[in-house]
Amino acid sequence: MLEATNLTKRYNGVTALDALNLSVAAGEVFCLLGANGAGKTTTINLFLNFVAPTTGSARINGLDVVEQPLETKKYLAYIPEMVMLYRNLTGLENLEYFSALAGRPDYTREQLLGFFNDVGLAADAAHRRVGIYSKGMRQKVGIAIALAKNAKALLLDEPTSGLDPKAANEFSALLTTLSAAGVAVLMATHDLFRAKESGTRVGIMKHGKLVATLNTSDLGHADLERIYLEHMHD
Amino acid sequence: MLRRIARHEWRMLFAEHAPWVVAALLAASTGYAVLNGLNWTSFQVATIEKALDEEAERYIGLKQQVTAIESGQMRAPFADPRMPDMAGGRLAPRYAAMPPLPLAALSIGQSDVLPYYFKVSTASRESVLTTNEIENPHRLLHGRFDLSFVIIYLFPLLIIGLSYNLLSLEKEQGTLALLLSQPVPLSTYVAGKIGVRAALVVLLVVMFSITGIAVGGVDVTPGGTLLRLAVWTGVVAAYGGFWFGVVLLATSFGRSSATNALSLATVWLLLVVVLPSTLNTAVAALYPVPSRVDMIAAVRVASDQASAKGNTLLAKYYGDHPEFVAGSDIEKAINDVAITRLAIDDEIEERVRPVVDRYDTQLARQQGLVDRFRLLSPAIVAQDALNDLAGTGSARFAHFVRRVEAFHRDWRARFASMIVQKQRLSAAMYDDIPHFTYQDEPLGAVVVRAGVALLLLLGAGLVLGAIGINRLRRYPIAG
Ligand SMILES: Nc1ncnc2c1ncn2[C@@H]1O[C@H](COP(=O)(O)OP(=O)(O)O)[C@@H](O)[C@H]1O
Ligand SMILES: [Mg+2]
Repeated sequence: MLEATNLTKRYNGVTALDALNLSVAAGEVFCLLGANGAGKTTTINLFLNFVAPTTGSARINGLDVVEQPLETKKYLAYIPEMVMLYRNLTGLENLEYFSALAGRPDYTREQLLGFFNDVGLAADAAHRRVGIYSKGMRQKVGIAIALAKNAKALLLDEPTSGLDPKAANEFSALLTTLSAAGVAVLMATHDLFRAKESGTRVGIMKHGKLVATLNTSDLGHADLERIYLEHMHD
Repeated sequence: MLRRIARHEWRMLFAEHAPWVVAALLAASTGYAVLNGLNWTSFQVATIEKALDEEAERYIGLKQQVTAIESGQMRAPFADPRMPDMAGGRLAPRYAAMPPLPLAALSIGQSDVLPYYFKVSTASRESVLTTNEIENPHRLLHGRFDLSFVIIYLFPLLIIGLSYNLLSLEKEQGTLALLLSQPVPLSTYVAGKIGVRAALVVLLVVMFSITGIAVGGVDVTPGGTLLRLAVWTGVVAAYGGFWFGVVLLATSFGRSSATNALSLATVWLLLVVVLPSTLNTAVAALYPVPSRVDMIAAVRVASDQASAKGNTLLAKYYGDHPEFVAGSDIEKAINDVAITRLAIDDEIEERVRPVVDRYDTQLARQQGLVDRFRLLSPAIVAQDALNDLAGTGSARFAHFVRRVEAFHRDWRARFASMIVQKQRLSAAMYDDIPHFTYQDEPLGAVVVRAGVALLLLLGAGLVLGAIGINRLRRYPIAG
């Protein structure tokens, strides 16, 4: 579903991402690990076509994101580190607007409230202005938007950093649900524990290179941390 | 999709109370401006009316005098109203006035510095039309607070205020990434945003202007007024369109809201304030016109010299008009005085001619320069078009002056022939002294000029907007 082929991004000579080859199938949760500046955000922005690749290509559902920027976005949902919404609108109004933009203007109020329910947000929260939402609530609205869009691929950029353990746990549970429903998930994260818990594979990035790819089922928590730190050393 | 985005945008603007702020600002400024304009035009109308009343009363008095003298009830005074030189010169001049058009209240233009009536007599052209000048072809800076001022200055500021953060706000509040992860091109969002703002601000400006006109009691029934008003509205919309083009271009650079606000304010300052005043200064410095004082001084010197040459001129005049045969001594003396004055006025005109010509040439050069460089500032183009449509522009004034000149020439010829033929005016002949009737230039000419301005503004706006839209493809979304 998500496929990077020799994907490379250079900023004025600085290589942010170096010939990334990566494929995330439907139902997989691929976690990108790596220090700050390793190139995780760059990878996600390339899939979103927010930045243009220097060489190589990013494909979603077989389509090149540069050649078909609008078509590829139909399959895609994005949850940034901070899901920012329209503060003056209620959660429901935000969901309704983004769903309409996603090409689903036809949802009834009940259906929209159903998505709130699915992500564990109370109905009365849906009617409150987003300005008073906590970060955890906004991240969940992000998931609700992805659900309403019926996205086939989900890109997340450190979505749980700054969340309390309970909120992070609930959020990860939602990811598991999504992947069970056949969504391909690519998530950048610093949370080794969550990566092991909810990821099917992890990739360790360093200086723009994907230096290791591991199946989480083969690993214990301690193994992942050890391998990660080994890579971070030199 | 565009409609959905526009609806959302409308809500966002309302959440910030923007429409109310814009409406309040526009209501207050257009209301005051229309009132101000109406004040000025009603003063003009009243002044013309007073002048014509004075003229009518004067004529009644003169006719009564003529009748009294003819019937022997009264001795002929020195200023004898029967004498054509007295009648055509000192006693019976008529006013030549250019009444303001109904829409003059919307754009006072230069009408408060240029004369709108002249007192036509047999005196030389220069003393009749002393104020025939355009001292400041584009006094945009010092204009009165009228509706066109609101449109030229305030309107772009409102547009800038509403849209300087068109996309930068979405970026700064973090919603842009979420918007652009949807299958909707950036240009569609921008179109929706611009569309809503344009509709809001253009509709409000037009609505309040028309309300002001209606409440202020501007008479729109005279022929062509509605057409002028329609083109006026078009020019206002096109000027707004130009500014939205500027906003689009500024937006496409992807800078912060603060940077956008600053650069747009700078563009406004340059195009609306600096350029017009620089143009004025440059024009005046490059082609200085002799001042009005010089002109009046030249007329005075010329009349002194001409008067001193009175007898020589009289002899010359006799030479030029051999058909003139002297009657009795007393009659000859009286006619000599009249003919000398006529000859002196001719001589003055002859002597002042070089000054006037230099003046006219310089003015023409100034105008030429202005015409070439006015295109640099859409504010000048728009202001000129608005003045033109309101009948307060330089074209209508020049047209008026040409008509007064023609009227003045006829006047002098008529009285000169009466003097030469030793005619005496009867009361009935007073009624035959022609009136000046102002005939406007054809409406088509005005509409064409304003239409060209409209298209220029619209074209410039479209070009800037197209460049902006094109640049949006490289809009920096991340980082
Ligand atoms: N817009 C940009 N201009 C220049 N360099 C950038 C830009 N965005 C990212 N980089 C550089 O690319 C590298 C990778 O950054 P990023 O992908 O954000 O890392 P991560 O998300 O893994 O922390 C860093 O060295 C960063 O400085
Ligand atoms: Mg990052």
